[in-house]
Amino acid sequence: MRGITMGAASGILAAAFGVAAAELLAAATRPQAGPLTAVGGALIDAAPTPIKEFAVRTFGTHDKPMLLAGIVLVLALLTAVVGVLAVRWRAAGIAGAALLGVVGATAALTRPAATAIDAVPALMGAAISGVVLWVLLRSGSPFTVADSPGTEFDRRAFLRAATLFAGSTAAAAGGVYGVRQVRGNAASSSRSAVRLPAAADPAKPFSGGAGFYTATDTFYRVDTALTIPRINLDTWRLRIHGMVDNEMGFSFAELLDRPLIERDITLNCVSNEVGGPYAGTARWLGVPLAPLLREAGVRAGADQVVARSVEGMTIGTPIDLLLDGRDAMLVVGMNGEPLPLVNGFPVRMLTPGLYGYAGACKWLTELEVTTFDAFDAYWVERGWAARGPVKTASRIDQPKPFAQLAAGAVTVAGVAWAQQRGISKVEINIDGAGWTEAELLPSPSIDTWVQWRYRWSAPSGPHSLSVRATDRTGQVQIADRATPYPDGATGLHTISVTVA
Amino acid sequence: MRTYKIAAVSATVLFSLAMTACGSSDSDADAAPAATMAPTMAASSAPAMTSMTNFGPGCAAVPTDPANAGSFQAMAQVPVATAASGNPLLSTLVSAVKQADLVDSLNTAEAVTVFAPTNDAFGKIPEADLKKVLADKKTLTSVLTYHVVPGKLTPADLAGTHKTLEGDELTVSGSGEDFTVDGSAAVICGNVQTANANVYIIDSVLMPKS
Repeated sequence: MRGITMGAASGILAAAFGVAAAELLAAATRPQAGPLTAVGGALIDAAPTPIKEFAVRTFGTHDKPMLLAGIVLVLALLTAVVGVLAVRWRAAGIAGAALLGVVGATAALTRPAATAIDAVPALMGAAISGVVLWVLLRSGSPFTVADSPGTEFDRRAFLRAATLFAGSTAAAAGGVYGVRQVRGNAASSSRSAVRLPAAADPAKPFSGGAGFYTATDTFYRVDTALTIPRINLDTWRLRIHGMVDNEMGFSFAELLDRPLIERDITLNCVSNEVGGPYAGTARWLGVPLAPLLREAGVRAGADQVVARSVEGMTIGTPIDLLLDGRDAMLVVGMNGEPLPLVNGFPVRMLTPGLYGYAGACKWLTELEVTTFDAFDAYWVERGWAARGPVKTASRIDQPKPFAQLAAGAVTVAGVAWAQQRGISKVEINIDGAGWTEAELLPSPSIDTWVQWRYRWSAPSGPHSLSVRATDRTGQVQIADRATPYPDGATGLHTISVTVA
Repeated sequence: MRTYKIAAVSATVLFSLAMTACGSSDSDADAAPAATMAPTMAASSAPAMTSMTNFGPGCAAVPTDPANAGSFQAMAQVPVATAASGNPLLSTLVSAVKQADLVDSLNTAEAVTVFAPTNDAFGKIPEADLKKVLADKKTLTSVLTYHVVPGKLTPADLAGTHKTLEGDELTVSGSGEDFTVDGSAAVICGNVQTANANVYIIDSVLMPKS
C-alpha cells in the first residue's frame, strides 16, 4: 500500500516538475511549443465536431480551461500509474516518461508554423521527469519497498525530496506566469520604444470631415488569432524568399532604414455584409513593397506572393498587382503611431484595392514568391476566391436603421468606396422614387472611401432609403444581392426609418 | 497521509499551470473576440470563444455542426438577418424580412432583440391571411418591426414590458427558462446570440395592437 501511494505521488510529482520545466522553457523561447498548449491545440484540431459542440454547449466560454484541466487529469492518472509501476520496475518510469515526451513533442511539431526546435521543451520535460521520478523513488528506499518488508522505507527522506520537488514545481509555475507577463510587457514596451522615422514621401495634407479617419482603437478586427501574437523586436525578422534571385532578410531597424511612404488608405474585409462595419480608413506609414520585390528579383513564372504571419496565417496576393504602381506596403505605423499589437505589430502588409484576406497579412514574418498553382493560402483553402479585388460599395451611416425622425430637414450621410478605381458619384433612392445625386466630400485619393451627404426634406411616415455608388470607370455598384462568401458581398444598403 | 497531500499539491500546481497556458494572463485586448470570416472556418478558433447560453426545448432543432450556417456558433458570428437566413427553421420569417426590405436594417442596427417566429408559427396563420400580409408591405413592416425591441435583452431582463420598433409595447411574462410573449407566444429557444442581436425563437407570430 505504501509502495502504491509513494509510487503514485512520485509519478505525479515528477510529471508536474517536468511539465513545469518544459512550460518554463517554452514560455521563455517559443510559447506555442509548451506541451500543455500544444497537446490542447492538437486535441481541438483533432476532435470531431459533435465533441467540440458538446464542449461548447456544456462549458460555454470555459471550454478551453476545461480541456486543459482534462489533459492535466489524464496526465496525472497516467503518471500515477507509471509511478506505481516504476516502484517495482524502474524501466516503466523511463518508458512512461519517454512516451509522454514523444506525445508532447509530436503535438508541438504538428502545430501551425512549428519548427524542429519546438520538440525540445516536451522532450526536455520528459527527461527531467524521468530523473525526478528516479530520484524520488530512490529517496524513499534504495531498494524496492512493496515486496521487501525487511527494507526500511525512509519516509522522511522521501518527504524531504518530495517537498523539494513540489516547491520547485511551484516556483517554475510561478516562473512561467512571470515570463508570460514579462514577454507580454516586452512586446508592448518594445512597441512603445519604437520611434518611427518621418516618411520620405508623406501623405498629402488632408483633413477629412468628422469620421473620415477611423480611430485606431475602433478599427475593425477580423483574424483567427486566439491570442494576440506578442513579438519581440530584437528577434523578429522578415524573410523574402521563394522564386527570387536574391533571398533577402531584414531586421525591424533595417526595414526602418529604407525610405518610407505615408498614405491614406481604406481597408475592408471580404466578410463584410452589405452596410456592415468591417471597413476603416487610416493613415499608414510603411516600406513600399514593389522595390523590395524588384531587389529580390522575381523569377519568370511567379504570380503570387504568400505572406506568412508568425502564427501560421497565410495570405496570397497577385504579384502583378503588387508591381503595378499601387502603394502596396509593409506597414509599420498607423495613424501616427507604431502599429498596435492587434493590428499586426511590428509589421503588416497592405495592398490598396484588395480585401484584407488577399493582401493585408498581420504579424508578418515571411514573404514567399511562388505561384497560385503551387500554393493555396489559408482562406483560399477554405473556398474563398484566390484573388480578392474590392467591389464598389456604399453605406448609409446616418440616420440609423429604424430611426425615429422629426419631419423636415434630415441629413442622410455615409461613405462609399472603390479602392484603386475611386468614386465618381453617390446616389440616394427614397421609397423607390428614383435616384438623386448626393454631395461628395473631398477625399485624398482613389484608395480611400468618400464621405457623402444628402439633405432630405423628410415627410411623415415610414420610409426606405437606399444608396448606390458609381466608380470613376463609370461602373455602377452591383445591385444584385450576393453573400460575402466567396468573393465579397454585393447589394445596395437599404434602411427603414420612421418620420413622425 | 502527507504523501497524499503532496500529490494533491502537485496536481494543483499542474492544474494552475494549465490555466496560465490557456491564456488567462492575457490582457483585455486578447479577450476581445475577433470576427470570423466564414461559417466554414475551423471551430477551434473564434466560434468556440463565444458564449452559448441559449435555452429551451426548441434549441434541439437547431443544427449542431458549427460549419452549418444555422448552428449557434455560426449565427453568433454574423448579423441577425444573415444569421436567420442560415437557419431552415426561420425561412418564412426570412422571406418576409426580404419582402419588407428589412434585411439591411436588421443587419446594421446597432443592438436589438428579435422575437423570431418559426415556420410552424407562420403556419398557424390561415394561408389566405398570410398571403395578404406578405403582399402588403406597410402591414408586413408593422408586424415585423413589432417583433424587434431596441437593445439586447438578456434572459434576466426579458420579463416585462418593452417598446418595440413598431411603436407598440409587447409584454413578456415568465422567468428562468420559461417565457411567454403577449400571453400567447412561447419562447421555445431563447437567448440565441448573433453579432448584433439577441434572438428569442417563438412558436406564434405576434400582432401589434394598433
